[in-house]
Amino acid sequence: MYIASVVVTICVNIVAVIGLALLTGYTGMFSLGHAGFMCIGAYVAVLLNKYFIVPYVFALILGGFASVLVSLIIGYPTLRNKLRGDYFAICMLGFGTVVRLILNNMNNPITNGALGITNIPKLTTLWSALLFMLVLVYFMWNFVNSQYGKNCVAIQQQEVAAEMMGVSIVRTKLLSLAISAFYCAVSGGILGFWLQYIAPATFSDTRSNDFLATLVTGGINSITGPLLASVFLTTMLEYLRFFANWRLVVYGLLFILIMRFLPEGIMGYKEFSLKNTIKFFKEFSQNKVKIMEKWMRFCAKLTKKTNNKERKL
Amino acid sequence: MTILIQQLITSVSVGGLYAVLAVGYALIYSVFDFTNFAFGGVMMVSAFSGYYISNAGFGTIPAMIVAILTGIVVSIAVELFAYRPMRKRNAKRLFLMISAMGVNIFLTNLYLSLFGANLRTLSSGFISNTVSIMNVQIGAVDIAAFLTSVVALAILSFFLYKTRPGITVRASAIDVSTAGLMGINVNRVSLIVFAISGITAAIAGMFFGMKYTVYPGMGAMSTKAFIASVIGGLGSLPGAVLGGFLLGILETLVTGYISATYRDIFSFGTMIIILMFMPNGLIGKGDQSKL
Repeated sequence: MYIASVVVTICVNIVAVIGLALLTGYTGMFSLGHAGFMCIGAYVAVLLNKYFIVPYVFALILGGFASVLVSLIIGYPTLRNKLRGDYFAICMLGFGTVVRLILNNMNNPITNGALGITNIPKLTTLWSALLFMLVLVYFMWNFVNSQYGKNCVAIQQQEVAAEMMGVSIVRTKLLSLAISAFYCAVSGGILGFWLQYIAPATFSDTRSNDFLATLVTGGINSITGPLLASVFLTTMLEYLRFFANWRLVVYGLLFILIMRFLPEGIMGYKEFSLKNTIKFFKEFSQNKVKIMEKWMRFCAKLTKKTNNKERKL
Repeated sequence: MTILIQQLITSVSVGGLYAVLAVGYALIYSVFDFTNFAFGGVMMVSAFSGYYISNAGFGTIPAMIVAILTGIVVSIAVELFAYRPMRKRNAKRLFLMISAMGVNIFLTNLYLSLFGANLRTLSSGFISNTVSIMNVQIGAVDIAAFLTSVVALAILSFFLYKTRPGITVRASAIDVSTAGLMGINVNRVSLIVFAISGITAAIAGMFFGMKYTVYPGMGAMSTKAFIASVIGGLGSLPGAVLGGFLLGILETLVTGYISATYRDIFSFGTMIIILMFMPNGLIGKGDQSKL
């Protein structure tokens, strides 16, 4: 049961982080409030299920669409007119805060204010969470490798050049925002039906920061990178329960150090593939010495390069 | 009527602090083109050191001085450790913002873990006093905050417009690389800019600490200042001042007459509405980039 709960948490994190990867990694926009979308998705899904007896899967999807609607309302004023990403970041931070504030102060028997909704039926099972995760990751993989995904990368790399090539910037940005909102909302729904209890405090700013940290660690230009990072970080957190508050201190340092030394994260622009890994291990076992030498030379070259650079500057 | 006047005076004093903070944001944005999300952390750290000095019985003025020194040191340390190596590598703005966010999370949670989350009252000699002018009771702290912020803004504008280092800062704000080509030492400009932003953070942190309390999460207050600088126009100093005062007045009036819990909704809502109709803020210049 404990392992199942860890696996479901991993699935929830993966879905949300993959959604954020499209927005932050591929399109290059920085969001501090995606827990707000998660919150909307969870509340809408749970309420629909509770009061209108919408089945589990449809409730999740409808929650996702509610989030998409909200994301378009927030996204349009902040993303049009080639405004800088900072407006967007602060609007998202505000959005997350406002969603939590409103839900905290709505004292009615339906949402129950800060106390949250209890007695939610446990509809998420281990297998449904895994299935949802796999399907959503598959969709995202296809999206990222499609023309739309390439448009997103073009905008991240050079906004002006992308516009010159005929990519509609506002539309592409809105699309990636809407998709990431959908992913976060679905992950919120899955979490709500698993925990059987949701409250505004479940979707705090810390959660948004966690997603961002996972994304940055995994590499912001890949799907498999954040995926592996969320598996790694979530299991690590279970081992580091006693660490409590220091966890966030480490997160902060991690952000700074990764941006300083490995700005593309662990995976960078590469994707994890089974073929390459097998190849790597085969080669490694065949000629260990050679590869070690190659690696040492590479490291030496790297340090030399940075030294030169620093001297020049 | 007296209540309204009291509200207005409070709002002007809060607005002054927002304006000081927003100028710190706007200055860094105008020169380096990125938002220093670590600002809240710097503010919190300097308020904490001010708190410990004033608690040790040294009085308000030394506490203020120590807070300002802490602000300068922390701000410059962040610049040297986190931002400058990245700028040298021509890192993307996104990476700079993530790094800044990391600094903020790091500082906030470091202080949370080291000192605990409880609220501390920053006592000062004149905090409890009120001045009575024609039946209107005004807190001395409000007057001090307003006067200090006006003086700080005046000194800053004198520095920027009349002195030589100030001119180098303004030249860098127009175009950093061209300023560098013209023989301006951009690294020194960056130190000046971050030192100024540290000073503004410390002033605002001390007064927020006196008006409310000192606690590790108080850096979140600087989000408001960022809203103020967005309302006024990102990167524009007069815009930041105007936005700061407007936001202060709006927030106090909403708190006084509508509801304190929904204050943040009004500030974020105002920002979104202003962005809808004036995408560059109230007096911000258009972003004529490249084309």
